[in-house]
Amino acid sequence: MTGKPFQIAAFLAVAGLLALVPLLGSEYWLGVAFIVAMWIALIQSWSLLSATTGYISLGHAVFYGIGAYVLVVSLDWMPVPYALALSGAAAGLLALVVGLPVLRVKGPYFVILTFGFAELVKNLVMLLETRLGQFSRMIFDAPSLEALYYAMLALAVIATALAAWTAQSRFGRGLAAIRENEVAAEAIGVPVTRLKLFAFVASAIIPGIVGGLLVLRTSYFAADQAFDPVVSFTIVTTAIVGGLGRVSGPLLGTLFLVILSELLWARFPQAYMMILGALLIVFILFVPQGLAGLVSKGLKR
Amino acid sequence: MTFTISRRTFLAAAALAPVTTRLAMAADGPLRIGYSMCLTGLFAQAAPSQVNAYELWKDQVNAAGGLDIGGGQRRPVEFVSYDDQSNPANAVRIYEKLITQDKVDLLAAPWSTPIHLAIAPVLAKHKFPMVGNTAASVKLREVKPGYIWFPTAVIPDKVGEELAAFMAKQNVKTAAVFANVLPLAQEIKTTLLPALEKNGIKLVANEDFPPDIKDMTTLISGANQSSPDAFIVLSYPSDTFLFATQAKQLNVKAPFVLSLIGPTIQAYQQAFGTGANNIVTVGHWSPNQSKWPKAKPFFDAYLAKYKEAPDALDSVLSFMSLEILQQAVATAGLDKEKLRETIASATFDTINGPVKFDGVQNTTTPTSFLQIQDGSLELVWPEQIKTKDFRPKTGW
Repeated sequence: MTGKPFQIAAFLAVAGLLALVPLLGSEYWLGVAFIVAMWIALIQSWSLLSATTGYISLGHAVFYGIGAYVLVVSLDWMPVPYALALSGAAAGLLALVVGLPVLRVKGPYFVILTFGFAELVKNLVMLLETRLGQFSRMIFDAPSLEALYYAMLALAVIATALAAWTAQSRFGRGLAAIRENEVAAEAIGVPVTRLKLFAFVASAIIPGIVGGLLVLRTSYFAADQAFDPVVSFTIVTTAIVGGLGRVSGPLLGTLFLVILSELLWARFPQAYMMILGALLIVFILFVPQGLAGLVSKGLKR
Repeated sequence: MTFTISRRTFLAAAALAPVTTRLAMAADGPLRIGYSMCLTGLFAQAAPSQVNAYELWKDQVNAAGGLDIGGGQRRPVEFVSYDDQSNPANAVRIYEKLITQDKVDLLAAPWSTPIHLAIAPVLAKHKFPMVGNTAASVKLREVKPGYIWFPTAVIPDKVGEELAAFMAKQNVKTAAVFANVLPLAQEIKTTLLPALEKNGIKLVANEDFPPDIKDMTTLISGANQSSPDAFIVLSYPSDTFLFATQAKQLNVKAPFVLSLIGPTIQAYQQAFGTGANNIVTVGHWSPNQSKWPKAKPFFDAYLAKYKEAPDALDSVLSFMSLEILQQAVATAGLDKEKLRETIASATFDTINGPVKFDGVQNTTTPTSFLQIQDGSLELVWPEQIKTKDFRPKTGW
């Protein structure tokens, strides 16, 4: 347990550094930091369900999309902070409603079901927008990038803290038991269904708010974009590269991939995609513990 | 092992350093024009029609000794571009980078309506004028006029009204309307339906379909039963191809067949040959309009460079947007405010004829329709710019 104070100090240092980015006065770097905070928040939330229980969700874009949609609709009636809260609540509610049936299936079936569900909701929202005669929506007078950034950073910190707390709580041990052997866990009295549902809802709320913040940043909403499945794929990829099951995984994965893409996107976008694919294969085959696993191995040595 | 990370970060910083210093020194070198492009992701297939037009323009400008920046000075042009992965949030970041980090001299437009709309606030914030191109939506009008302009004549509500008038003129009495649920198609449909009614055209079918539709046979054969005079398919490229395939199989006999986006792409004509003949589509440019002396040379130069015809919508709009920028810079120089005033008020001579903006919109170029006639794209509506008469579709 000697690593723990060090770990907390490291997290605080990263958060502190990110909090200082606006002082650089560079809109570009602020934009990069915004993306970093966004992915950390998304992936930590996803890990809360998928890394802990082994229920790999390939549909987290649905929460992000529903958050964006709720925000853009509710902005007509309420100020931004309330609309953001509503985004999170809507995503959580959606998770609660679909959680029970969806969480009954396991393994590849769960993966396919979450992906299909996300596509279903996307098409339903598109249909609804069509019926409403609203085919895309714009936002005027969005808050400044700085304000949005601090909100996003707060989400990243909360999501990381939540993941850290889960890792050593009774709740987290229950989730780990589900991952190892769900039937056995249930037999010894772990409230399997309740825990899974709780993790599912918890992992949906923050992505909902993230979706709201992102649509404030781009000031334009169209359903096919807001529910972009690439978001779901990127979450899973980054989480694997970073390392599943460690709180530092999403952090390292995000920093690594964002820096990589900043370096490569300028001239070699296709190369970036290829490198991403190769990395994924390499990590799954040779570094299943991800970057976080490498780092902790290095520290022990 | 924490060392590895700091070394990696260091390497990243070290790799970036020469780039930034090199850019800073380039002030007196070539004139730099920045843009972001959907090289990967959802819209990646569309990117070449735009990038090719940009590159052709650059070649022509540099061959002429560079871009005229006023006062008889010319500077060679180079592009600074990044991939936005078809993601508006990335594009926002890229334009911020182009303006604040790379400090480019001018900006060119990205791909697609969502990305144009997403970057409009960035342009306004930095007071950096940019001529848009591949955006088409009624939402464009909601953008506060100032630093962005949209040369397209494919404004959906106008398209709906003009289409109904055009159909009425061709004696269409009954029509089947199928629309993709994506914004452009739906916006057009919203004004098309009342306009059809006003023109006394009866609707025999009216269906929406999802963007990834794989089979349209039920839609088509359903409408076939009442054999309408017109099939209006408000489709995007992949469904445009699907419709042509299945309309042929099901032997659609309507003399008036429209597909929204796709027929202007050369691959469409290559894929369907005579089946593509007499298909009507949306577009406001044809190389054969002799009133626009720059139209044919553009077509020929594009064909020579890329061995395929330019896309009559996107390649043309992209090229036009740079022609407008070019002429504005020749008058106003590189000062952003002067440039903005010039773009907002002057009339520009483009491959699509004269263009003048009123607010954010091009109000000069008329909303028009094209028809594929024996491998050539002809303007068939409205009267004042048509290059050929409309021909009824007789078979696939």
